[in-house]
Order: sequence, then C-alpha cells, then structure tokens
Amino acid sequence: MQLLSEDDLNLREMSREELDRAWDLWFDLAQATNEFDPPYSHGVFVPLEGATRRPARPARDT
Amino acid sequence: MKNLYFALTEEFNAQGTIALLASGQAVVYYRLAMMSKDGDWVLRETPEACGRVLEVLARHGAGYRPGAPLDVRWLCGGWSSHFEFLDAEGRRIRCDFVTRPPRVDLAEMEICFGRPPREGSLPVVDLESLIRMKRTQRAKDYPVIGELARLLPPERELEFTTDPDRLLELAPLYAEGSKRPAVQTATKGGAREEVVVALAREADRLQQADRVWLAAYQDASFGYLQEFVRQRLGDLPLFQAHESLCRLAERLLPPNPFPEVDDAAPERG
Repeated sequence: MQLLSEDDLNLREMSREELDRAWDLWFDLAQATNEFDPPYSHGVFVPLEGATRRPARPARDT
Repeated sequence: MKNLYFALTEEFNAQGTIALLASGQAVVYYRLAMMSKDGDWVLRETPEACGRVLEVLARHGAGYRPGAPLDVRWLCGGWSSHFEFLDAEGRRIRCDFVTRPPRVDLAEMEICFGRPPREGSLPVVDLESLIRMKRTQRAKDYPVIGELARLLPPERELEFTTDPDRLLELAPLYAEGSKRPAVQTATKGGAREEVVVALAREADRLQQADRVWLAAYQDASFGYLQEFVRQRLGDLPLFQAHESLCRLAERLLPPNPFPEVDDAAPERG
C-alpha cells in the first residue's frame, strides 16, 4: 500500500521555508478536528479514553 | 512562519542537545508526510534536561495534561509526560516526552544525543529507532514504517519494510543473515501470498505486544490519574503543578510498572 500521494512526494523537493509554510497551513486546517482527536497519540496513556481530558490553557505573553 | 514543534526543538536544545524530535514530527522532518498535530521528544534522562524543558514550556504558558511528572524517577520506568498550550494564534500545541522510548536501545539514543549539531539541522531520532518506536498497536503506523524503511540502505530496508513487493524485490540480493521470518519465507521461494501472511503475522505480534505492555501502565496509573483529574492539577501554573504531581506520584505512581525487570522498556522488536 502506498502511503504517499503525488502531492506528498513533493515534500522532499521543498526548501525549508516552503516546508514550514506548508506545514503551517496544514496545521491551521487540522485545528478543525481538535475536538475529535484522541487524548493521547503517543506515550503510555494512548489506550485511555477521554475521561481525563482537560481544555487547553490560553497562551501567556512571552 | 515556522513549524512550532521544530522551533520548540531548537529552544529545548539551545544550551546543548537534550531533546530528540521523534514520532510524527520526525516523519515531517524526514519529509515523508504532514503527519502530526502533536510534538514528541525523546529526552535525555537527567534532572537538568527535565528542568530545561519545564522552563521552556512554562514560558509558553503550558500546563500538564494527565500523565507522569517530568521527573527522571518516573521517566526511567518508561512513563510519559504530557503538556498542552495554545500558541499566539490560538492553535493547540501538545508536547509529549519520554526518556525510554519503547523497543529502542538506549545506547542508540546516546549516539543521537552525542552527535554534534549541524547548521540548519535538528536533533532527531535516527530512522531505525523511529521505526522501532512506530511498531505500536495502531495499524496506521505500519504503512509509515514502510515509507521510513525506504530511506534506509537496502539491506536495512529489508529488515523493516512492511511492503511485501519491496521485500520480494530486495530479498534475493540482501537477505543473507536475516532472521526475519518474512524474509526467510521469501528466500525459501515462498509465494507472494505467503510473504503477505508472514508480514501480517509480524505486525499482529507487534501490536499485541504493545497492547500488553501499555496495559501494565494503564493498570498502574489508574488511581494516580483519578487524583490528577480530581485535584485539577492541569489547571495549575506549570511549576506548581509539577511539585504537586511529584508528591502525588510518590504516593500513587509506581516508578516501574514491571518490578520484576530492571529495564521497563519492551523488548526490541
């Protein structure tokens, strides 16, 4: 099974700046599904269901 | 405009290499796919590295998500620590840390930590370690493993590929010495279907092993996590939460869920 589409393969030809801009756009769009994401994607708590989820804290000025 | 997880990696490592980019963001770094909304790092197992990461996260206004404290007393038992904040654009940033990634030889991580930094590059988990970390219970990780394997030299790709056609292509040239059952099936003249079955059995064995390993952590952390949520420790400022979490973990979180073995990490697969 091929993981990558023709568009994905173009990642290797991108400059670092192009890759950053592409990821930034992808990340913006991906925020739409936050509510449906599992609570953990890595680590030892991955099998846990959503009972322990807490809302994210707002950013502090840095 | 920058990948914020790449920027965090630079921040963590600004005073020396302590945090290796891993998992989904490493897949982005290796330019395979836009894969992950979270950031994962393998951290050097020292109090100083933990302190550095907490400082950086505190500057970003991060809070703990339910998980182990970022403290070597628990990280050395394979536990993971989890954090979250919103960036300046209100986007959710999740940061996860381990010091003992599953299925990875710690000596290989030390090699990664010891590599001198190169201009324009990030400290990142090496390909074979990244593949081993992705041998999880999740079916979606296995096609990624196949693509990561393509970046390896052919004799190493043969040991990790999940693509039966690629395995059949490489086996006649590079199979000498391989103990991998799917490779041995190919070299003994097995049909393609037999190689497919051998790879499926391998993936199933790895998935089952990961489930068993994680179940031990689930069982060991139940009471601790309940208290984490009841006390709303994720709502506290980071360093205050960290102190409270360490006190809670001293009472309720066993440092090593596998007391019968010294090294809690599951066997290299």
